[in-house]
Amino acid sequence: MNEPGTVSDEELQKICDFLYRRTGMLFSLSKRYYVQRRIAERMSHLRIGSFATYFAYLRGDADGEIEKFINAFTVNETYFYREEHQLRCLSSDLLNERVRARTKGEALRIWSVPCATGEEPYSIALWLLENWPEVDVQDIEIVGSDIDTQCLAAAMEGEFGERALMRLSPHLIEKYFVRIGNDRWRIVPDLRRSVQFTQANLMDRQETRRHGAFDVVFCRNVLIYFDDASRRTAAENLYESLLPGGFICLGHTESMSRISPLFEVRRFSDAIVYQRPYVGANG
Amino acid sequence: MPLVRRPSPPVEPAAVPPVLGQGTSEQRWAAVRAAAERTDGVSLLASALQGESDARVREAIFTGFARIGTPQSAAALVPYLRSDDAGLRTGAVDALRAMPDAVRAHLHTLLADPDPDVRLLSCELTRGLPDGEANRLLCDLLERETEKNVCAAALEVLAELGKPEALPALGRCAERFASDAFIAFAIKVATDRIGPS
Repeated sequence: MNEPGTVSDEELQKICDFLYRRTGMLFSLSKRYYVQRRIAERMSHLRIGSFATYFAYLRGDADGEIEKFINAFTVNETYFYREEHQLRCLSSDLLNERVRARTKGEALRIWSVPCATGEEPYSIALWLLENWPEVDVQDIEIVGSDIDTQCLAAAMEGEFGERALMRLSPHLIEKYFVRIGNDRWRIVPDLRRSVQFTQANLMDRQETRRHGAFDVVFCRNVLIYFDDASRRTAAENLYESLLPGGFICLGHTESMSRISPLFEVRRFSDAIVYQRPYVGANG
Repeated sequence: MPLVRRPSPPVEPAAVPPVLGQGTSEQRWAAVRAAAERTDGVSLLASALQGESDARVREAIFTGFARIGTPQSAAALVPYLRSDDAGLRTGAVDALRAMPDAVRAHLHTLLADPDPDVRLLSCELTRGLPDGEANRLLCDLLERETEKNVCAAALEVLAELGKPEALPALGRCAERFASDAFIAFAIKVATDRIGPS
């Protein structure tokens, strides 16, 4: 008898297609080991012995299995102040430009998607509190979203290991975190309340639209997991999620210019970002 | 702290759904994006593309076709490879390239199309195929192709993903275009990159 989770090429293709249609994440047969291991984990957890039974269980979304299956495929390793140059760009250029474009009194809205376990949206809040002179004058709404509900639960808890805090100075850790054990820190309640967490699938237009329009979107290191068609769809969903003139920050290895012509490239002293034009479709 | 003093209210969906091909570019954009999510999306998008002149709305239509990703959506784009409008031609190529599985069924015919421009653009579309399949299709093309620009496009792709099995076809192509310095150069580059069999 095969090991639990051992699947034929055809079965693997079926489950990869299923994952792709749901999330835009593309895994080919060359990622057999990675995919098979996650299937095996889910089957073992559910004590299901055959792939056919598991796939039927998954497709029927029994006991919310689709969400759990997707959670098993997301990559959530990150840390505070990752790609700090973009945070500098946010406080030195992007927000000031957005303040000028906004009607006085309107809240500035920043979206971190995907937010994994919360390091990015909390970093944005922390950075602005420390580095943006306007922080006490402007209303700033920060939303962190992810497809992975386990990550969101962890983000809302706001507890982090020492590795996640490695880029923060002892002064910042002392100021914004409370030690809760060996190598465990919890973010202070005020900072925790500065970020709102929601579930969102970048491939689902209804879900992204539900979040409204933002001034700045951080969408880093996720489009690299998508194929071309999904990247284009996600880029258009993000375009709709930006106000005219709003900015999107991608990971340093990613380029929106290679995905979609919808955005304009803006070069600032600290970072290259992409901007939704003030005029054009949907704007 | 905290930063948020007044969270935004949740967004309500639009009361009146937008109609394809009507209204401002903003409304047409919203309509084509919604159409791409429907089961009859291919025919809706095909109809919308015919009358659309706004580049951003066109882009959303092309993305819709790519996302649907069926042989039918590829078939709806194929005629635009012959378009006189460079924007439409490029948009169709980019969208077709984003749906390699769907375009596969059309490639054999496209690479034998009477129009050399269509054959040239189709060489680019083989990049999304498994290497072996792209190799075979492009070698077949090289054996019979008379237009040097089409050969050059095929050679460019083969230089990146060609297999040693392509070397004999490259050799025969070199003989047929022996007097053409550029093709000779392109074949040398491809041969060097593929390496010895």
